[in-house]
Amino acid sequence: MLNYFLFLVIAFAMLGIGTYGLLSKRNMIRMLLSAEVMFNSALLTLLVLAATAGPIQGGVLALIAIGVSATEIGVMISVGILFFKTKRDIDVYTLSGTKKQKLGRRKP
Amino acid sequence: MIDIIIFSIFGILAIAFSILVVEHRSLVYSAISLGFLGIANAVLFAFVGFTFIALFHLAVYVGAGVIFILFSVTMFKTSPTVEPRLKRIIFIIVPLITICLAAIFWSYSDIPLFVQSISYRELAITFTQDYWLPFIVVIIALVTTLIEGITLARREIN
Repeated sequence: MLNYFLFLVIAFAMLGIGTYGLLSKRNMIRMLLSAEVMFNSALLTLLVLAATAGPIQGGVLALIAIGVSATEIGVMISVGILFFKTKRDIDVYTLSGTKKQKLGRRKP
Repeated sequence: MIDIIIFSIFGILAIAFSILVVEHRSLVYSAISLGFLGIANAVLFAFVGFTFIALFHLAVYVGAGVIFILFSVTMFKTSPTVEPRLKRIIFIIVPLITICLAAIFWSYSDIPLFVQSISYRELAITFTQDYWLPFIVVIIALVTTLIEGITLARREIN
């Protein structure tokens, strides 16, 4: 028999996968995509929990969250394009300037 | 019985597409997988009873957001980034997060799925009367994002 917990388990697994991608990848767009996986997980959790408590309020919050997510995608992609135009790379280590320090190439 | 089969199919699809988004070598296929993840998620939303949210998710998130990512990704002609070596702790993260959160929400295993009928009229009234300020903020944010995106894309780099 289906229950709400099964939906939550799927959402938590997606959250874990998104966290793994966000921590392990260096490509800016890949990190954005991992964050979007986490957003999908959060939205599923919100709606499942709202279905047991207050569906109307949960639905309104979900609509607002989807709108904000579309905004976030626009901002991140624009920043990514700008970085790509300036540095010809979207590696976050290169962008933050920590690559040389990590590789130990700093001059004394 | 049919609901368990549909739930199982789309639940497994959602997790499989999540893994593809994170792990696929090509960014284009990752973005496509994110679109399919959105579709699988929308089916799960409809399953819980939020049909309108599922349609909105399909239209706005999959139809606009993910397609925007997909077309933007084609502009990045980069060589593949060498990813850092994974530490063992990262492999522990996925099961750890899943198990910890599942343990916290274990009490929900007793509640059977009950699909509620949500009144769209009530949803619209709540949205426009109680949540009008966040609604305006989201509209302003969307408009400013549009302006910002155009400005950044047209910016000349010396």
